[in-house]
Amino acid sequence: MTIDLNQVAFSYATTQGSGPLILENIDLTVPEGEFLILLGPSGCGKSTLLRLIAGFDSATRGRVTIDDKPIRGPGKDRGMVFQDLTSALYEWLTVRGNVEFGLRISGVKPEERRSRCDEALQMVNLLAHADKFPDALSGGMKQRVQIARMLAMRPSIMLMDEPFASLDAQTRQMLQNQMVSIWNDVGGTAIYVTHDIREALNLGQRIILMSAGPAAGIKHTYDVPMDYPRNQTDPVYIDLLERISLDIEEEVKKVWV
Amino acid sequence: MSGKTGSTWRGQLISPIAVIAGLLAWEISARLFIDPFFLPPVSVIFLGAVELYQKDLLFVHIGVSMARILTGWVLGSLIAIPIGLIVGSFLTAKRIVDPFIHFLRFIPAIALVTLFIVWFGVGELSKILLVMYATSFIVLINTATGVGTIHENKKLAAQTFGANAWDIFLLVTIPAAMPSIYVGMRLALASSFLVIVAVEMLAAESGLGYLIWTSKLYFKIDWMFVGIFLLGFLGLVSDYAWKMIGKHVLGRFVRESANY
Repeated sequence: MTIDLNQVAFSYATTQGSGPLILENIDLTVPEGEFLILLGPSGCGKSTLLRLIAGFDSATRGRVTIDDKPIRGPGKDRGMVFQDLTSALYEWLTVRGNVEFGLRISGVKPEERRSRCDEALQMVNLLAHADKFPDALSGGMKQRVQIARMLAMRPSIMLMDEPFASLDAQTRQMLQNQMVSIWNDVGGTAIYVTHDIREALNLGQRIILMSAGPAAGIKHTYDVPMDYPRNQTDPVYIDLLERISLDIEEEVKKVWV
Repeated sequence: MSGKTGSTWRGQLISPIAVIAGLLAWEISARLFIDPFFLPPVSVIFLGAVELYQKDLLFVHIGVSMARILTGWVLGSLIAIPIGLIVGSFLTAKRIVDPFIHFLRFIPAIALVTLFIVWFGVGELSKILLVMYATSFIVLINTATGVGTIHENKKLAAQTFGANAWDIFLLVTIPAAMPSIYVGMRLALASSFLVIVAVEMLAAESGLGYLIWTSKLYFKIDWMFVGIFLLGFLGLVSDYAWKMIGKHVLGRFVRESANY
């Protein structure tokens, strides 16, 4: 499944018509199977871009398509991991209940539901916690529930909105590695939003650097020609890190100065 | 969940000891310093309760009041919850219902007692309807607020799982609003007591309000205190029962809402 964005602009509708542009002139093609990073300073509209692909919002101008079909709302082909640790989980359901939620709605039979749930929980190492409720879990575990919940639905596109941003550095690193191996195992396209350059370099095959908002666009695109796991002392890594850092600094300055 | 003293058996004893000490202080001061006509000692009130029991009146008054409260409370909630869910979910419904709700909720049930008696007679119907009236606004507003504060991500996540509007209402909105519904019903239970006493004082031949009101005719200040004491006690027991239902029956849906 190829995702295409063609001259996309977005602004939130207000009572006086449309508000200021958040995104403008976005042209982007994401081929099937790619691990793509949307990187940029906060407020640059990278989460908004992800929401357009998810179908939560629709473009004010331009076209967002999957295999040439325009996106009309959310669908089972696209899974989502939300940044917030608690608000997206169903706290009245156990971990298993949360993971099986989508399968249940989709009418998957109980035995298959169970096996797909077990398989998804296994992938994120949460099988032992299947019967716990979300409020008994740490932040990192909650995000793994969100990931397992997405995996159980077997979406062809995985959308992730800074899923590890509020976790401590060690947990984040561990989950980044886990995410890469999951993506390797299940295949499919991954689009991952972050403001952390190292995270972008650890995860992505291609990094889209966005300019600062308002009316943010794509500033530069970086390919990361490296194998996983990424060696942070590799000259290629260090070179990319420096270039992207300078590039992003320019954008941050625009907002601050 | 509470601190160190709350979890030990010593800690568990603090509340009963405080109650016994309070009752003792009352008994002693009522015997030594206060005219027993104004404040009879606890023992005299207890004897008053025994007297009422022997006249077969005690449990009649309790039963009648509790039946009115619980019937009105349950029926009022059953009406208010669905309306609250709809008002919280649909902006148009909210716009239609809002002016009525926010106007009517400032008219206390007590102000409607005489009108309801004219409309529905002096029987049980008018009393139950008044409790329903008082209950429904509290439950409705709590339910609608609960629905309104459900995080968007819960619904968006459901949409990525292929949920339609009905799935979301049934599987996300209702369970996510449960804590608010639960708390609303708890508040409404307390106001049901308030309403029923007022109604029974003005227009009833039985019930705890009636007992308190008529006791003054016979200068039975101890019976008056029996009625007052029973209101507090029955309120406490009902609230505790609702709390236990929250903890053990609705547990995973209401979570910490049932803790205090």
